[in-house]
This record gives sequence, structure tokens and C-alpha cells, in this order.
Amino acid sequence: MIEVRELRRVFGGVVALDGVTLTLAEGERRAVIGPNGAGKTTMINMLAGETAPTAGTIRLAGRDITRMRPWQRARLGLAHVYQRTELFASLSARDNVGLAVAAHRGPYRVFRAVPRAEYAEGEAVLGRVGLAGRESVAARDLSHGERRQLELAVALAQRPRVLLLDEPTAGMSPLETARITELIAGLDRTLTILIVEHDMDVVFRLADRVTVLHEGRVIADGTAADVRGDMRVHDVYLGKAVTVA
Amino acid sequence: MSPELVFQQALNGLSFGALLFILASGLSLVFGMMDVVNLAHGAFYMLGAYVALSVVQSTGSFWLAMLAAPLALGLLGFVLEPLLLRRLRGRHLDQVLLTIGVSLVIVDVIGQVWGREVRSLSAPAGLDGSVTLIGGVYPVYRLFVMAFGVALAAAMAVVYRRTRVGMLIRAGVQDAEMLGALGVNTNRLFASTFATGAALAGLAGVIAAPVFGVQPGMDTDPGLLYSLVVVVVGGLGTLSGAVAGSVLVGPADTFGKVLFQDVALAVIFAIVALVLLLKPTGLLGRIRIAR
Amino acid sequence: MRPLLRWALVAAAAVALVTFPYWSAPWVSRFATTLVRDALILAMFALSLDLLVGRAGMPSLGHAAFFGAGAYAAGITGQRLGTDQLPVTLGAAALVGALLAVVIGVLVVRSEGIFFLMLTLALAQIVFAIAFQWTALTGGSNGLSGVGRPVLAGIDFSAPDLMYVLVAVTFVLAALVIWGLARSPYGRALSGVRENERRMRALGYDTARLRLSAFVIAGTIAGIAGALSAYSTRFVSAQDAGLANSVRAFVTVLVGGAGTLGGPIVGSALVSLIERVVPSLLPTDLRISEAILGLVFIGFVLFARQGMVGLGRSAYYRVQHR
Repeated sequence: MIEVRELRRVFGGVVALDGVTLTLAEGERRAVIGPNGAGKTTMINMLAGETAPTAGTIRLAGRDITRMRPWQRARLGLAHVYQRTELFASLSARDNVGLAVAAHRGPYRVFRAVPRAEYAEGEAVLGRVGLAGRESVAARDLSHGERRQLELAVALAQRPRVLLLDEPTAGMSPLETARITELIAGLDRTLTILIVEHDMDVVFRLADRVTVLHEGRVIADGTAADVRGDMRVHDVYLGKAVTVA
Repeated sequence: MSPELVFQQALNGLSFGALLFILASGLSLVFGMMDVVNLAHGAFYMLGAYVALSVVQSTGSFWLAMLAAPLALGLLGFVLEPLLLRRLRGRHLDQVLLTIGVSLVIVDVIGQVWGREVRSLSAPAGLDGSVTLIGGVYPVYRLFVMAFGVALAAAMAVVYRRTRVGMLIRAGVQDAEMLGALGVNTNRLFASTFATGAALAGLAGVIAAPVFGVQPGMDTDPGLLYSLVVVVVGGLGTLSGAVAGSVLVGPADTFGKVLFQDVALAVIFAIVALVLLLKPTGLLGRIRIAR
Repeated sequence: MRPLLRWALVAAAAVALVTFPYWSAPWVSRFATTLVRDALILAMFALSLDLLVGRAGMPSLGHAAFFGAGAYAAGITGQRLGTDQLPVTLGAAALVGALLAVVIGVLVVRSEGIFFLMLTLALAQIVFAIAFQWTALTGGSNGLSGVGRPVLAGIDFSAPDLMYVLVAVTFVLAALVIWGLARSPYGRALSGVRENERRMRALGYDTARLRLSAFVIAGTIAGIAGALSAYSTRFVSAQDAGLANSVRAFVTVLVGGAGTLGGPIVGSALVSLIERVVPSLLPTDLRISEAILGLVFIGFVLFARQGMVGLGRSAYYRVQHR
């Protein structure tokens, strides 16, 4: 479904990503982990189209999307949940999701109000992420955890084929983290998910396969169990809390 | 066009360019340091000319006016910055809007205090004659303007590159918040910068008065509009940008008016638009990434 | 408030507005009709600008270019084609406003913030310069005089009361259009572009095209407002396309409250009051209405950025949540 080949990104003198290759099958849940600075966010930004690669290619369902802009990739079914919350602050949760729902219906409907069916779809998504009852609240008035939930709702409302999650549980309480994790776990299996995470519990709960990045390169790639036992990964994470079975 | 005419127009263009430099440098400085496009810059320019008018009327001395006007405008700027702009620190667009309001007030007050007729200011004695140059006579005053512009640019370059103040300015153009973190009193720095910008505009008003007159509407034409043109073309925020812009726009405008007459103004702004599209920071400009 | 009741009130207000000269005759002078008429033209102009500034987040300081272009178009087509027919001249104004907005819009929509502001200012100045200097077409610095009387279905609208009705009806229609836009998915998309353009692109919206469309709609309505101005004064000045006029509209939007329907309307009432009524309250040799406007504007930018509508809302909430 997603094929990344020799992806490279150089910023000035810094090599953020140094020839990363990975492949995701349709419906696969892949976690990308690694210490800070390993290049995880850079990679996601390149997948989303926000940053152009210095070298390498990206294919989505066989199609070369390396040069495509974010909005073109969105139309092909790619959804991106940012590391830092990127919502429409003064708009209500309902409108935030509504924009995502309307995106694939075309925004140039000028003289009628938003159709009921669309509202219903939006409210359904909000319900799924646990924001039922908070539809009318402005995004900036939501709590941090609720905003991350809304982020996920907006992405899901796009009806994506591929979901890119950049640290979705960052800054969340254990309760909120558990809720979001179960939510993601319960997502439809036709959805391909790539998730960048620091929280190992989340990784082990969700991932089919895990890719470990270090200094811009892939140092390990396998099932969660494989990676857990890989000594190189332990070395790289020395000092970090990793639950070893 | 005869060679004499070309030469004359070239001199006109250069003296206009010198004037534009004096005018635009203040706008560029304020933008570079504070990320604010001071839309009251033209009003400051206008006020400088009118203050000069009064000073000359009461004392008869043009030179005194050349001192008094920048001083007065500098004081005004020094007061306005903390009074108004500082409250909106970080809200750059709102600061720009604020300067629109300031402009409205100043221009109207000028009209009320000094009247709305066209006034004039003569060049000072000693500079009001003409000199014989290649193929014709040329006003001494315009040569003076050119010399003054060059001298000012040189002086500013020296200050900019060789003094501590200049270093602060250069650093501030890069990153003013960082300066604050390093212990520099940014409040005073910003107030002084804004005051200097205003003073330069006032100075330009005095110097331009014998050439362009003193009348309603001068805040926009030539005031604000030409400063914007120079600063956008040459480069926002840098001294070299202001120089480059003035040297380009001055002669271009002069020759444009001679050759194209009616369409000249449109052409000038078309060039502005083009530059803004291709290189928004201008030919030699730099801006901080500000939000 | 029940929707039906609200609709009834709005309809009643609209009718009262349109028929103002007739029922107010016993109490107010002709001056009042002229004042309200001009305020409505400003309101329409400001409403169109607010679509850009308040809704789409595009701070334009060159909106008068379209107002002026529309005014000239109405006057010039009337004179050149020898017609007084309203559909022709008004249609020309709308068309010219739209076309100019496309030309300028294509150049400006990829800029943001302060650069967008300066770019719109510069481009509007080109339009102004052309109007000011193309004497053969526009009358140059003398302006275009003798703008024809607008005629529709045999009715000559140049009589003061009828002119008012024409302006008021057009205003109500324009307000309805903008209101409809605001509530629609399109309006919401514009708000999205304002709030977070990056996210809109990530969702799949072509934000440049959205902005351009908003720019064109705003330019068209501004052009129509300009035409109305030309009809009412029978004159078009180059200043109609000038910076001062753009500033005036911007001030109106901000002071009233950007991003709301009522804002530009309330703002135009205040601005008209300051420009027209205040001078008559001051001694005749004290002409500082622009300075007062400037001070009011500064006050709002500093202390009441959300404008009068914003102030009203805060007061309302404070009362509600006592």
C-alpha cells in the first residue's frame, strides 16, 4: 500500500533521514519508533507531502506521490494527524469535523446550509472518538486530551485509506491514552495505519510490525516481539524505559 | 532625447533617489527591527515638512528646520511606540492597522492646524541658485539633496557596521526576541528604532519640501507610496536594500515620467507587484520568520 | 428566539429600511435619507470586504479598486453606449468588478498577512493611477461627471427617494447573499482557510482557489456598491479607487466587527455618523472628523479588536452568565 524507497532528507548540513526504505501492506498497522532526532517526524512530514524529500520515492497504492502536494494526497485517501494540535481554533468541534466531511464532497456548495446527512456523519465520528456531547464547543475551549481526540476525529472523517499518526497520545493522561489506543485498535482493518510513538505500551498494543529509526536510518524492522528482544534497539534506547518481557 | 536632457533627467533621477533613500530608510529600519510596516510613515514625512514650514516662518532658518523637524518627529515616535505599539507586541498585523489610525489622526490635525492649501518652502539662501553643468543650468539645491543623501547613507553605513548601536540593529533585524533574551532592553531599543524611523521621515519631509512642495495628499504621494515602492523593490529591513531600492526607483520613476508620462505611475506599481510576487522580501531584503 | 419569529423581524426591518424615506418624512429631513443611503452603500462595500478580511482571513487594503472600477464602469458604459438602462450599467459594474478581481486575485492569493496587505495596496494604487491619468476614459483628475440616471422598467431612479429605494433594495439583496454564503459549506471552508490553511490543504481543499473565489465575489459586490455610488452622486472621482477609500472600508469592518454579518453594517453606521453628523456638531472651522475616526479606530484596535459586535456579544454573555 505504501512503498518508501531510499527516502532521504537533508536540512542544510544535517542529514535528517538517510535512505529509509519500508513497505506497508494494506491494512497493516506499523509503528515507527526511535529516540528523539531519529527522523520520525521528518519521515511522516514527507509522507504527508509537507516536506519535499531530497532523494527517494514514495508510492501510495502503486502510484508515485513523491512530488504531490498535501491536498492532492488527501484526495487520494491520505490523512495526517499532526504531532502538535492543528485544529480550527475558533470553530466548533462539529465544524472542524464538518470541514473534513465536506472535503470530499466539494466546498463550492454556496447557497444551502450544511445538509443533515453531513452533520450526522460528523456527529457519528465525534461519537466514536468519545466527544459526544461536545460538538458545539469551540476547539480552543476543549481540553488537551479532547483536542487530540478531535484531531483523530477530523482525520477519520476524511474517510482515509491511509492514516499517518504522529505521536497521537503525546501529553495525554494514562486514562486518555488507553481510550485513544483502544479507539485506534478498533479501527477498521482495511485502514492502513502508520503510527509514530514513544509510548511502548501503545506500540505493543497496536502494532503488527515495528520499524526502529536511529539517526535517520532503519536499524530494526520486524514484529513487536522481534524488536523487543533486539539488542541493538536496547542499546539505542539505553536510558529509556522499555518494558522487556 | 538629447544628451543634455538625458543628463539633466539623470541628475533629477539621482536626486530623487537620494530623497527616496532618506525617506525609505526609516520605513525599512522599522520593519527590519520590529516587523511592522509603519503606514504612518508618510504622515510623519508630511508632518516634518509642515514643522519645517513653521520653523522657517518664525526663524527664517532652513537649517534650523532641518534640525527641528527630525527632532520633533523623533520625539513623537519615541512617545507613540510605548503608548500604542508596545501594547500590541507580537501582533504584527494589528500594529500595522494601528499605524493606519495614527496616520488618519496626524494628517487631519495637520490640515486643521496648518490649513489645507498648497504651501511652499524655498531652498535656503546659498542653495537656491543654479549652476552651469553640461548643456544647461541645474538647480544647486538638487545637487545638495544628492550630496546629503550620499552623506547620510555613508554615515548610516558607518554606524551600522562599526558601532555598538549598529550591531544591535543588525542583530535586532535578525532576531529581536533573542536580543531580549540576551539582556538587551528591547523596550528602549524598539522605541528608539521607531523614533529614528520617524525622525528620518521628518528629515525627508524638510529636504523634499523645496522640491516637491508642502500640500495635502503628500502623505500618500510621494510619502507612503514611494517609501513602500523603494522598500519592497530594494529590500525590506536592510540598509543596502533601501539604497538599492532608491537608486533603482529614483531614476526609473523620473525617466518613466518623461518617457511614458501618464502611464508612469502604473508602471512603477506594476514593478512593485512583480517584485512582491517573485521575491516578497525584495531584492536585497531579509525578514525574520514572524507569525 | 424561534426561527419564524426571527425571520419575521428581519423581514420587517428590511421593509422598514427600504421604505425609510416615506415613513420618516414627518420627522427627519432630506439629509437623513441621503445619509442613510450613503451609509448603506458603505455597508455594502464593507460587507464585501469583510468576506475577505473577516471570513477568509485576507486583509486587503486595496478593495477600493473594485469599488472605483465599478463606479467608472457604470458611468462609462452609460455614456458610451448611450443607455440609461439599469441592468446594462449595473451589469457592467458587476462584470468589471469581477474581472478586475480575477486579474488582481490571481496575483495576490498566494500571499498572506502583511505581504498580502502590501500587495493589495500596491495593485490598487495601479488601478487608481490609471484612473487618475487616463483622462480620455475616466476624466482623469477631474473625475467623470454626468453619470446617467438609472432607469429600469420605465422608472427613473434618480429621484432622491427612488434612488434610496434602489440602494436599499440592492443592499438587502447583497446582505442576503453574504449571509447565505456565510452559513454554507463554502463559508465554512473560508473560515477554515482563515483559521488554519495548512490543515485545510491537508484535508484536500485547494485553498488558493477558495481564496480566489472569495476575492472575486467580494470584488463583484464592491463593484456594484461603486455603481450605486456613481448613480447617487452622478459623479465618479478617482479617489473612489484610492487608498483613503480602501482604508475607510477597512476601518468600517474592524470597528463594526470582522467576521460577522452585523459588524460591517453597524460599523458603517458609526463611520457615517462620525464623517457626516459629527462635523455639524462641531464649530465649522474645526474639521477633524478624520482624526476622530482615526482615534476611534485606534481605540478599537487596542481595546476592542472584535469590534462593536464583539463588544455586544461579550456584554450579552456577561449578562447571561450572571
